[in-house]
Amino acid sequence: MRISDLIKMGLRNLSRRKARTALTIIGMVIGTISIVVMISIGIGMNQTFKSQVMELGSLTTITVNRYADIMDEDGNYVDFREQKMDASLVEQISQIEHVRAVTPVIYKSMRMYSGKYEGYLSVYAMDCSTWEDFDFPGLSSGTYPTPENNKIIVFGEYAFDNFWKTTGRNYESTSLDPAVDKITMGFSPWEYTVSERKKEFRIKLDNNYARFEYTENYEYDYYAYMDIEYFEELWGKYCDTLTPADRKKAMKSLETYESIKINVDNIKNVSEVQDAIKALGYQTSSLMMYMEPMQETSNMLQMVLGAIGGVAMLVSAINIANTMIMSIYERTKEIGIMKVLGCLIKDIKKLFLFEAGMIGLMGGIIGIVLSYIASWAINKFGQPLFESLMSGMMGTGEESKFSQIPFWLPFLAAGFSILVGVISGYFPAKRATKISAIEAMKTEG
Amino acid sequence: MVNKEVEKVIVVRNAKKVYRMGTEQIVAVNDVSFEILKGEFCCLLGTSGSGKSTLLNLMAGIEKLTSGQIIIKGKNIPKMNETNLAKFRQRYLGFVFQSYNLMNSMTALENVEFPLVFKRVRTKKRKKLAQDMLVQVGLGNRMGHKPKEMSGGQQQRVGIARAFVAKPEIVFADEPTGNLDTKTTMEVMNLIQAIARENNQTIVMVTHDPRLASYADRIIHVLDGEIEKVEVLHDITDPEVYQRRVEEARAAAPKLSELESSADPKKKKHGHKGKKKAVQEMKAGSEQSSDQKTQ
Repeated sequence: MRISDLIKMGLRNLSRRKARTALTIIGMVIGTISIVVMISIGIGMNQTFKSQVMELGSLTTITVNRYADIMDEDGNYVDFREQKMDASLVEQISQIEHVRAVTPVIYKSMRMYSGKYEGYLSVYAMDCSTWEDFDFPGLSSGTYPTPENNKIIVFGEYAFDNFWKTTGRNYESTSLDPAVDKITMGFSPWEYTVSERKKEFRIKLDNNYARFEYTENYEYDYYAYMDIEYFEELWGKYCDTLTPADRKKAMKSLETYESIKINVDNIKNVSEVQDAIKALGYQTSSLMMYMEPMQETSNMLQMVLGAIGGVAMLVSAINIANTMIMSIYERTKEIGIMKVLGCLIKDIKKLFLFEAGMIGLMGGIIGIVLSYIASWAINKFGQPLFESLMSGMMGTGEESKFSQIPFWLPFLAAGFSILVGVISGYFPAKRATKISAIEAMKTEG
Repeated sequence: MVNKEVEKVIVVRNAKKVYRMGTEQIVAVNDVSFEILKGEFCCLLGTSGSGKSTLLNLMAGIEKLTSGQIIIKGKNIPKMNETNLAKFRQRYLGFVFQSYNLMNSMTALENVEFPLVFKRVRTKKRKKLAQDMLVQVGLGNRMGHKPKEMSGGQQQRVGIARAFVAKPEIVFADEPTGNLDTKTTMEVMNLIQAIARENNQTIVMVTHDPRLASYADRIIHVLDGEIEKVEVLHDITDPEVYQRRVEEARAAAPKLSELESSADPKKKKHGHKGKKKAVQEMKAGSEQSSDQKTQ
C-alpha cells in the first residue's frame, strides 16, 4: 500500500466512528493537558525559586568570609572563627580550575556630609577589572571605573536615602541627590582617632561618581562600590590624618580582607570550586548552598506533579487500546477481506498503528492548545492558591509565573502523545494481523 | 489427450486436510490430486460438507494444507510465507464470494479499486481501471453507490469487477450465485464466463448446483473429501474448441452492456419468490436452503 492510501484509509476509518474517535481523543486531550500543565507548574516553581535566589546575588559567586561560622551537626550556629585572608590566598584561589575571576573585598563604613545632613554608607572595595565577571548591573548615570581611570565611586539606588538632620531631635531619614546637593565623604569617625593637628579627610562627590540602575538586589541598591587600588589610595590619605598610634593599626587593617569573592565559569562547577577552597582550609558560602535544598524540593514537587499527569496519560492510553480493540472486533470481516485481496500483513499493522497514533496526535495537539489556555488562567487567577501553597518555602513576588510552558514542551508533548497512541495501538494492531482470513469472512457485518 | 502447449496453472498432488475437533480428527480433503489448465473454467461440484470449499481455500492459501502439494503458477502454495502469499494473491488471484464480501463503507468504485490499492497502483490509473471494469459489468451508473444501496445481483457484479480488475490469471469463485435468484444467477454466470474467456483467465468455481456446472469446461465431482470423478465437457487443448470459445466470447461482449437495463434493484431486492422456485427445481434443494440460512 502506498503511504498516501494508508493515511486516507486510516482517516476514513477514524471518521466512520466519529463519536468514539472523539471520545477517545478527549481522553487523550485530558491526559496531555494534565501532563503539560503539571510540568509547566513544576518549571514555573523552579523558575520562581531561582529568580528569588538570584535577587540575593549571582549564583556563580562564591564568597570566602573572614569570619567563618561554626555550625554544630544540626546546622545551628555555635561560634565563629577568623580565617586568614591575605593576598597569597587570593593568588592560590585564582589558580583553581573553573575560577574565572577572583577579587579581595574590603568593607568599610563611611560617612557622608551635606550641609546639616549626615548619612552612613557601607562601601565595598573590589578589583574593578573583575566587576564585569561578577555581573555588575547597568548604570543609570556615569561610567564604571577602569584600571586606568579608577577614581570613580559607584552608588546604589538607595545609597543616598539615609540622611538625617544633625540638628533635628528626631531621627528622620531624608533622601539627597548628589547631582543637586553637595555631598562630601569621609571614613567613619568612630573607628580610629583623628590627629588634632590634621585636617579631617574628606572627598568631594562631583564628577567622580556613577549610579547603579535599580536592581532589586540589596547588595547593589544599598551600597557603594569602588576600585580597591583607589580605595587603598584614599585610605592612605586618611591614615595620614590619624594619630600615630592609630595610623599603624589602620594601615595594618588593610592587609586582611573582609572577604574574597570568586566567580565560577559555570553554575555546575560551583560546588567543585567550593570543595577546592575547602581543601585549602577555608570555609566558603555561595547562593548555590541555598539553591540546592530548594531545587531538591522543587524536583520532588515536579516529580509528584508529573506522576499525577502520568496517571491521566495512562488512563487515556488504556482508552486508546480499548478503542482499537473494539475497532478490530468490528472490522474483523474487513481485515479478512483485505487479507484475501492481497493486503500485506505489515500494511494492516501500519494501518492500525496509524489510526492509534493519529488519535494520540490529535488529542495531543488539542491538549497542547488547551494547556496554554490553562496555563494562562493559572497565572492570572491562581495567585491566592499558590501563595498559600508556597508560603512555607518562600515569599512570592508579584509577577511570579506559577505555570511556565517552555518552547520545547509542546513538541515533547506532541511526540509523547503520538508515542502513547502508537504503543497502546501496538498490541491491538498485532492482534489484527493474526485474524484468520477464513474465520473473518464467515463473520457477518 | 492433454496438449502439452497448454500450461497447467494449478497442480494439486495428494492434498490432505485434517481438522482437529477436540480429540476427533475430521478429514475434510483426503488425498486429492488433479490439474487445471490455463484458460479453463473448472467447477468443483459437490454437496455441502463434501470438502469442495475447503479445497478452494487450500488452493487460495487461506487455509494451510496438512500434507501434499498445491502448485499454482509453479509456486508451492503451502510453503509460502504470509507476505509472499499476499504478493502472490495480488499478482495472480482474484476472488468472488457467495456473500460478496464487499467493504460496506466504500462505494462500488472504491471496492473495485481496493485490490489495486494493495498493488500500489497510482490513484488515477486505478480509478480508470476500476471504472472500465464497472462499465464492463454493467454498473457504469452505480459507481458511487454503497453495497447496501444495491441489489444482490448488483453487489455480486461489483464483486466480480473487483475480482477481475487486476487482471489475475486465476479467479476463485466460492458459490458466487448462492444468494441470487435464477435469473440473476444466469446473468452473473454469463458475466464471469465472458470476462474470463475474453482474457483467457482460469476460473475455479465451487458450487453444489449441477446446472451451473454446465458452464464449466471441466467438472470435478467431490464427495466426502475425495474426487468422485472428473468430467471434461470441453477440451480446451483442442484448437477447434478454443477457437469457438473465443468467438463466443466476442459475441457475448456486447450483451454485457445490456445487463444494465435488466438490473432493476427493486425487482432484485425482493426476488425471494424466484429464488424459492429455483430451489424447488434443483436436485440438491435441501442444501440450498441450508446455505441460505447461513448467508
